[in-house]
Amino acid sequence: MSAATKRLEAITPAIPQVVREQRPRTPLPVGRILIYLVLTFGTLLSVGPFLWMLSTSFMTQSEASLGRLLPQEMQWQNYPDALANGNFIGGPQYAIEFHPLADELNVHLQDMAQEPVFRGSRWLSGFDFRGYVWNSIRITGISVIGTLLFCIPAAYAFARMNFLGRNVLFGVMLSTMMIPGIVTLVPNLLTVTWLSRLGEAVCGDVCRWTNNWPALTVPFFATAFTIFLLRQFFAQIPTELWDAAQIDGSGHLRFMLRVVIPLSRAPIMTVILLSFIGSWNALQWPLLVTQDARWRPVALGLTTFVDSGAPGDFHLQMAASVMMIVPILVMYFIAQKQFTEGIAQTGLKG
Amino acid sequence: MVRALKKHQPPVIFPRFQGVKMRVVREHIAAYLFLFPAAALLFVFNVFPVLFSLFVSLHEWSIFPEIYNGLENYEKALGDFAFVLFFWLAFGLFWLSYRIFRNFLRSAQSWPDRFHSLLPASLFSLATTSLCYWFLLSLPLVVDSPRRLPPGRHSAAVFIHEFLHSFRFPEVVRAGNIALILTFIAIAANLYWWRKRYRQVSRHFGQAVLFLWTFAAALWLIWMTYHELVAAVGRATSRLPIWGALLTMAQTFAELRLPLPATPPIYELPIWSQLIFISAGAMLVFAAYRLWQRAHRSLDDRAFYGQILAAILFLLGGYLLIVRMPVALQEADDDLLRGFGITAMFSLGTVPVQLSVGLVLAYLLFQNIRGKEFFRLVYFLPYIMPFAATAVVFKVLFGQAQNSTLNNLMKFLGLGAQKWLQEPTGIFQLLFGSGVPEILAGPSLALVVIMIYTSWTYIGFDTVVFLAGLGNIPSELYEAARIDGASGWRIFRHITLPLLSPTTFFLSLIAIIGTFQAFTQLWIMRTPASSRAVDTASIYMFETIRNTRPQYGYGAAMAFVLFIIILLLTLAQNQLAGRRVFYG
Repeated sequence: MSAATKRLEAITPAIPQVVREQRPRTPLPVGRILIYLVLTFGTLLSVGPFLWMLSTSFMTQSEASLGRLLPQEMQWQNYPDALANGNFIGGPQYAIEFHPLADELNVHLQDMAQEPVFRGSRWLSGFDFRGYVWNSIRITGISVIGTLLFCIPAAYAFARMNFLGRNVLFGVMLSTMMIPGIVTLVPNLLTVTWLSRLGEAVCGDVCRWTNNWPALTVPFFATAFTIFLLRQFFAQIPTELWDAAQIDGSGHLRFMLRVVIPLSRAPIMTVILLSFIGSWNALQWPLLVTQDARWRPVALGLTTFVDSGAPGDFHLQMAASVMMIVPILVMYFIAQKQFTEGIAQTGLKG
Repeated sequence: MVRALKKHQPPVIFPRFQGVKMRVVREHIAAYLFLFPAAALLFVFNVFPVLFSLFVSLHEWSIFPEIYNGLENYEKALGDFAFVLFFWLAFGLFWLSYRIFRNFLRSAQSWPDRFHSLLPASLFSLATTSLCYWFLLSLPLVVDSPRRLPPGRHSAAVFIHEFLHSFRFPEVVRAGNIALILTFIAIAANLYWWRKRYRQVSRHFGQAVLFLWTFAAALWLIWMTYHELVAAVGRATSRLPIWGALLTMAQTFAELRLPLPATPPIYELPIWSQLIFISAGAMLVFAAYRLWQRAHRSLDDRAFYGQILAAILFLLGGYLLIVRMPVALQEADDDLLRGFGITAMFSLGTVPVQLSVGLVLAYLLFQNIRGKEFFRLVYFLPYIMPFAATAVVFKVLFGQAQNSTLNNLMKFLGLGAQKWLQEPTGIFQLLFGSGVPEILAGPSLALVVIMIYTSWTYIGFDTVVFLAGLGNIPSELYEAARIDGASGWRIFRHITLPLLSPTTFFLSLIAIIGTFQAFTQLWIMRTPASSRAVDTASIYMFETIRNTRPQYGYGAAMAFVLFIIILLLTLAQNQLAGRRVFYG
């Protein structure tokens, strides 16, 4: 962070926030013990399944199928095993389901399988869990970057620029939040399929949408809620900063990049978190727009693992689940830290 | 001096925009550039799909658009109830346009004001409507363009040529020309008016346009429904004068084209659906009664007739629902109806549980508790974790094997092992023996497990939101109540609950809409054995578009019906909560 930003932050007045009210008086001690008991019971219920998952992921197969609660000996090997658990969607089972582009896809895959780079490699013959994790990392990265690139300028325009039709456009944007996702499923699938054909005809396989990253990420780059969230924060940044920046000869773009974005680290972290969770957890949409494992995310991989893997491999399934959960857990705790830091930097707490 | 200074200024090579006006223009250009990427994506993937979905649902659409088949998809889903649904939809739109028109009349008091905004607005909406028509004509042709390509690998040039060719079909060209002319007229007229009477026009222009759009949409909808009805009845009466047409329509509505079948129906309709429809009809009749009562008390003449008319319409609707509904629904898709029933049970089984538990936890946490942050963090975990992973955990936890963890627990408690997610039998039948009739069987055990899972994930979210809501209640109120000698329960009942009602309302709305769209947990936890007892309407809809032969038209129709139900639920909740929710 540059010294100029630090100085700017120093002169930024505290952005108003809801002041935490005084809590009501404490009840009687007997009641308090009861309250703690109930809360602890709730904690057990909400954490229990996670602990059970963790413990099962270290068991042997027989322990897991016997329904033991704790492993006798930690089986660390389960994790590499689960990661390398290939062949549950590879080889001979490898069939593309019926899809608008199925024929072309099959041709394409046969072509790919003939290429020496791919021949015999696990990427086509036996796709393992590692591949899904890598896919999800790629998809999530693209989504997060795209969301930031698309939403920040729009939120900035709504918050700090005067233009004709701003209120009408903002109202229309807000009303799109009311549209349930189930309505847009079919038309978006058709749109994406069509765009895929267009892209493929114009610049080949790189530009296809379905079964590739664009279909999985581009529709989620711009979401009304994200723009709304950022806009609410951007609008709170004092006008004096903009006046000062204008006097120093800065335009909107420079002001946005140098002042607004550094000041709003907390909401941007929130947006990153939301986008990350959204694309890491996605299942329904990837089911529709991917036909093979090359771009299928980890949620789909896990589902396939559970459905078509070996039936008794609970310990490996749990290990895979743990691995799917860990990035979100890490991200959550990192973001918690970032939230508090963001609050401290913008002087929200003072 | 000034001249001397000017002399020394460097020559301007790139003349930049200067002056106040230019700055405004520059700001506009910059703002639109900032906005464009996100706005374009939002339009393509959020706004346009709503209309596109309706469009697709009116077609037979497997991969490419096949043929326009009107309301056939809806008939397939809902039987003859489809006509009733669309009639009510059109009626709702008419009502909406009337409301907008009334607001417009109220805000534009004087005649010149109305005139100066109504005329450009009507030209504007005419132009937009014609543009829409042109777009709708070209849309299937554009979507179809890949199919018109010659077989084999295609080059960019061929594709783009075929794409552009979609716009050169004669009917598209004709509509396009008309749209172009109308647009030019509208732009010219609007420019003229805006220059002349800027203030008057801008104030009411939006309202007038909105009114004309909704009115046109309602007209189209009623025309389309009528046309479909006539086609369905098989009476070609398209050339009837307007009154004759209305009469025929009323007759067909009364008859609903279905004489009672002489032979008994092949399958029995699920009793609950009849129950729901009959109770809905009863509610409509009750609403008609209330309106009738209110009409007698109203002083305004126009309000009186409006309410009487509404009461009669409600009565008619209630009559149709009660008497004809089971018959009308006989041709409906059985799987879809069952899906709706399961969705309703899923909603009823999860929303109250998660809200009440969340409220209790939040209220306990709100007392001066040590480690509040920790508890909040922990309760929030199930919500923040990937549903796919946790659903898999629950799937294994509730395994059907004799030695699965839950079955071990059951044995420990001295109860029998269950098949859990593989069990399609209703829980009441399991609890009280198979003597319980099918209607009262309740949700299947598999669905109950999914309900438990769903509540488990959402309780934390509800707790955190409730906690924030509790923090917003001013503490003076509690102090005042204590001084007045109120006990804990009375404080909770008369201060906390009413002041928390906006939060409760928000959460229940989110939760109900969520259950109607629930996907991940159902998809992962459904098993072939219990899928018929678990598949909600949304899952069934997803199945039809992921089938080996995807029926996008039918899927879109079902999604649209779900959309309407969600919309109605939102409206109803707004209405119900309007009186109960206390905002500050």
